[in-house]
Amino acid sequence: MSFAYLVSLLLLGSIAFALVREMRKASPRPAGLRGHIRARGWGLLLLPAAAMAAVMTGHVHALAVAELAVAGALVTWAPRLAAKLAPYALLALGLFGLILAKAYHDGFSSQVLYGLVPAGGGPFRRGFVLPQAGVFFVLGVWLLLRVEAPGAGLARTLIARWLDPRRGGISARQGLLLIPVTAMAVLLIGPRYWFGLWWMTKPVVVLADAAIVTASLVLVFRSRVWAATVAEAGLLVLGAYGLLIAAFWPSVPGFWYGFASLASPSYGTLGTAVQGTALLALGLWLAPRVMREHEMLPADAELAARAQQLTQRVQTLTRTRSDALDTAAAELRRIERDLHDGAQARMVAVGMSLQAAERLFATSPEAALALVTEAKESSSRALTELRDLVRGIYPPVLADRGLGDAIRALALDTPLPTVVDVDLPGQVDLPVTSAVYFSVAEALANATKHAHARSVRIVVSQAAGMLRAEVTDDGAGGADPAAGTGLAGVERRLATFDGILAVSSPPGGPTIVVIEVPCASSSAKTSSC
Amino acid sequence: MRIVIGEDLFLLREGLVRLLTAHGFEVVAAVASAPELLRALVDERPDVGIVDVRLPPTHTDDGLRAALRARGQVPGLPVLVLSQYVEQLYARELLADQAGAVGYLLKDRVFNDDQFTGAIRTVAAGGTVLDPEVVQKLMVRHSRTEPVARLTPREREVLGLMAEGRSNAAIAQRLFITEKAVSKHAAGIFGKLDLAPSDDDNRRVLAVLAYLGS
Repeated sequence: MSFAYLVSLLLLGSIAFALVREMRKASPRPAGLRGHIRARGWGLLLLPAAAMAAVMTGHVHALAVAELAVAGALVTWAPRLAAKLAPYALLALGLFGLILAKAYHDGFSSQVLYGLVPAGGGPFRRGFVLPQAGVFFVLGVWLLLRVEAPGAGLARTLIARWLDPRRGGISARQGLLLIPVTAMAVLLIGPRYWFGLWWMTKPVVVLADAAIVTASLVLVFRSRVWAATVAEAGLLVLGAYGLLIAAFWPSVPGFWYGFASLASPSYGTLGTAVQGTALLALGLWLAPRVMREHEMLPADAELAARAQQLTQRVQTLTRTRSDALDTAAAELRRIERDLHDGAQARMVAVGMSLQAAERLFATSPEAALALVTEAKESSSRALTELRDLVRGIYPPVLADRGLGDAIRALALDTPLPTVVDVDLPGQVDLPVTSAVYFSVAEALANATKHAHARSVRIVVSQAAGMLRAEVTDDGAGGADPAAGTGLAGVERRLATFDGILAVSSPPGGPTIVVIEVPCASSSAKTSSC
Repeated sequence: MRIVIGEDLFLLREGLVRLLTAHGFEVVAAVASAPELLRALVDERPDVGIVDVRLPPTHTDDGLRAALRARGQVPGLPVLVLSQYVEQLYARELLADQAGAVGYLLKDRVFNDDQFTGAIRTVAAGGTVLDPEVVQKLMVRHSRTEPVARLTPREREVLGLMAEGRSNAAIAQRLFITEKAVSKHAAGIFGKLDLAPSDDDNRRVLAVLAYLGS
């Protein structure tokens, strides 16, 4: 008793405090009765709510009088605060309706004036309590959002989340079905004992009911798909159960199947049969929708994102493939021209010299000898040219020893002091190796030719499926991939392998060229990198 | 002089055999793959093994590796490695054991048979013969690095020719100076590279190694 007294005192105190604070805020004085009513706005609803609460107590009570007085004071002097409190008053009335319905259901029989109906006279009147409570709830939530009362943001977020179209194709209504299904199940499985389980006494049943209701509400807000799925299962089970009851178990006092009391044989059986059929039909209607929803996972949004990714990928591949083909064609053309003008021409010269030598051999051996020497030199030069050509196509040391030694060999052939640090534990695809080799060669050539560097450092490493090469020089800097053709060519070459080139080269240096390529080229081949 | 040849291309192998036989060398084995070559080198203990870098079975640097393994089993076994291309990396690996008796030449050098047979004899005698192309790359690279930077341009030139396996007389002829002047330059090189007095051939190998290693 002293606890309730303390709570009421605190409550009244805080209301008085809020009231005083609200009154301090200056507001224009309205004129006339209509002006007064308009200025009070939704706060006026507080008066009927307080009246209803006072009437429900049934007799004159000090608390009821205090309640009415507070409501009147709020509406008169603090209309804005009253407006913010009104939705909560409505929600409280709804909550009270729920409690009342439960009490009637569990055997409470006194008459209570709830809203417009004096409930408690009989089952028909009692039946109005729950719908009215529902109306109060809906009104309360609507007003909460309308007047932006505290908590409106949270409610709006929850609702928006639940209605979010990206959350799957099942409509909001279908997920909502879980609420009546839960209510019906809670009613059905018993006011006093759960299926006759003796240890499920009343407080435990209340707790269990509360848990079930909370769980289904959480489900409704968290995942409409799963709410609909559970509702679907509930509809089928409850429907089938209703038909079973109607057929074999006509009279069970104290149990309700939806709106039908199982205590009355004739009316109850008919109601049960009708409701059971309706539930089963609804369940069967919902079933294909729910199943389709589950088959369609992942949700449409994800599919759309994936489709967009694939489109971008196709665009990239189309571009890089076309670049790769162009590069390959240009390369073949260069090789053809080099062979044609170089080694091939020299071999023709060798043949001609030897043929002339053959003719001169008998008559002028000395001239023949000179021609043979010339042929030998020509063939030697042809070999040198072939060697250079082969190096440009695929360096032999790369074929013999792999990327690490090939880069070491490259560094040895560079006039600059070059430090090489290679750590390649895994296998790398051959085409990737070649692309990285030539990229490093280009970066090294730039450092030597353009940057006037004093030393170069090359670090090649492998991590998370990526091959990374870093070429750092202490030269003049100012390298720009967009300006020269060399680095731009490297960039195109790497793009074929989904590789990237990054250049940091501030004026004054140092220049850092970073090359990163996935170890396995994007073919079907696998690679252990 | 007994020779073992490891070369997989029939035309080149037969050409080498013909050339060497014509110059009075005795070819005791001419094989076409790395395992055969290793066996021939170890069993025959030739005066010089002439080895192609690229041999079966993998057609990468099997020949080079077989030659290195043979030298691991028979220290100082004279080996002349031939290749279509030369790499400083491989030159270093061949010279790494500091035993000398190593040659590393482009295949085209066979065209000049005097130079080629000279190289074989130098290698057989424990000297070092590096291809002029390797030496040229060394020249470009080492103009600024220690300790080779301490050498005068002339000394560097002499060191390069030493690396190519030329004798003092040949170097003198090439540079149009007297043999005595060459000896003086050589002494200067050995001094600047901190090579203690020992027999001349070994010091030449070490000087070339220092050259490669710097």
